[in-house]
Amino acid sequence: MKNYEVLEHTADIGIRVKSSSLEGLFRNAGLAITDISTEKQKTQYPEKHKIVITQKADNVEELFVNWLNELLSVSSAEALIFEDIKISQITENFVDAIAIGSDMRNYKTNVEIKAATYHQLKVQKSGSLWQAEVIFDV
Amino acid sequence: MSDNIQLEKIDDYRWRIPKSYKPGMRVPGLIYADEKLLKSIYQDRALEQVANVAFLPGIVNNSLAMPDIHWGYGFPIGGVAATDIEEGGVISPGGVGFDINCGVRMLRTDLKYDDIKDKLKDLVYALFSNVPSGVGSKGDIRVSAKEERQILVKGAKWAVENGFGCQDDLECTEEFGAVQGADPEAVSERAYERGKAQSGTLGSGNHFLEIQVIDQLYDSRLCDEFGLDLGQITLMIHSGSRGFGYQICEDYVKNMVHCLQKYNINVPDRQLACAPVNSTEGKLYLGAMRCAANYAWANRQCLMYLARQSFEKVLGSSWQKLGMHLIYDVTHNIAKIEKYTIDGKEKNLCVHRKGATRAFGPDHPALPERYKKTGQPVIIPGDMGRNSYLLVGTKKAEEETFGSTCHGAGRVKSRTASTRTTNLNTLLKELESKGIIVKASGRNTLVEEAPSAYKDVNDVVNVVHNAGISKRVCRMRPLGVIKG
Repeated sequence: MKNYEVLEHTADIGIRVKSSSLEGLFRNAGLAITDISTEKQKTQYPEKHKIVITQKADNVEELFVNWLNELLSVSSAEALIFEDIKISQITENFVDAIAIGSDMRNYKTNVEIKAATYHQLKVQKSGSLWQAEVIFDV
Repeated sequence: MSDNIQLEKIDDYRWRIPKSYKPGMRVPGLIYADEKLLKSIYQDRALEQVANVAFLPGIVNNSLAMPDIHWGYGFPIGGVAATDIEEGGVISPGGVGFDINCGVRMLRTDLKYDDIKDKLKDLVYALFSNVPSGVGSKGDIRVSAKEERQILVKGAKWAVENGFGCQDDLECTEEFGAVQGADPEAVSERAYERGKAQSGTLGSGNHFLEIQVIDQLYDSRLCDEFGLDLGQITLMIHSGSRGFGYQICEDYVKNMVHCLQKYNINVPDRQLACAPVNSTEGKLYLGAMRCAANYAWANRQCLMYLARQSFEKVLGSSWQKLGMHLIYDVTHNIAKIEKYTIDGKEKNLCVHRKGATRAFGPDHPALPERYKKTGQPVIIPGDMGRNSYLLVGTKKAEEETFGSTCHGAGRVKSRTASTRTTNLNTLLKELESKGIIVKASGRNTLVEEAPSAYKDVNDVVNVVHNAGISKRVCRMRPLGVIKG
């Protein structure tokens, strides 16, 4: 089962992610990028690359957008697809994680996600459940 | 849905969102559309975004929307807004978008349909293998770090100086291929990293390279001026600033979200984050955005070089002998500083065109000598199954829309909806029955970009022509399509 839902948008792609923890929310959203944009092919380049991703922000919504944009940006600059994410530390203002990437050539890309936007952005905790909605420019 | 917005009809092609619709709007919204297009415009949230843009400090006259308007993020796609720089007018990276200087260029040829009909497949395959396309595609045109900085300042001129074109190409490019005031110091290291190796690549999504044929003439005098006739083969290239531009937009949206508080700016959507044009943040963004704009012009120049090379290879003749001259290159995602007369006073305005094309009329000083009489060529790509257009700009556009017009067909269906409702084989058969050959890098691109996902470009162009903000010259239909 997918850890995210796709939200309808005329030109772009929105997602809704849920988790019982902030850590899970950030991880699910980060991995949703890989799921939406790529399709695994035969592994030709097996080496895994560990990249440290650290972001801070004034509030949890900005942190969420900064986090997703950093993943997209590093993925594009390093030509990596992130297959797993291990979050070492997270608060509503700070995230420190290791993203594990595989060579982009092991994947077929379905759609290019340019960036995460602030448009209709929501990151909320309701009871014990964290939920986020974000629209990506594609 | 935008059901709650009551539009006031001005005439058959103009509709107003009154300032009273939302407290905080500084000017009304003005939408160019007819009754038919309004139905689809009402289906998403684009009209609400037109009202939101009217909150921008310093905005003058109207928050404008072209008939291809659809829901974006922050600005609607198809939105135009001009702010008065001397009156604290702002610049918003979201009003330009992530793909800075996404744009389109059109080439003419001396070829007629009969000259290439038996070689069409070879041409499409040659273009597909010669022009790198798809997500993260890397080009063969490699440049050093020092040269990359030169590209950011010189734009298409860098490409011409390095043998990827001729002086004439620069004259036929908006801003002559390089906007002044680019500041490579305002560009982050990450943007450089994302941009390297992507020069001369098409990209993905709605970016394309098309072989087209002229199927209708609207103004024979103008067609003569441009050297165009029925049955003539043309080429169209749609691409932008690739990862380099995305990173600049991202860097500056992040920065300007904090400017909202700093400069006490109230906007209903954080993606409209902005700063006064004259502020430090505003000036830095403008300098960086211009770098991305120039990068995109160099990119499209390199793509055209590769396209000319492909034709030379298949047809065994030089591009000059094939008459493959650039008609014009326009950007449709940009912010420009332009002069307009507002309430009798000449003003320097910051004109945001987010999915809108500049459309200057005859005699405008920004036009090259060869187009002073005709007005600026305006290139409007449609979807891959229907048509594209060549228009010219008008004086009326300069008076009403800060010299702007539409930029394409405009999406009407989401990518997910298009994927759900389009069968790839049926689509390919349908295109084949129309004589259109398609090659695409991305498996999903074709269904996402199916003609049914778009408004009919003929309807869109009908509105801008009848409203007088541009004028039809001729129409093309696609023969060969290369998608990213």
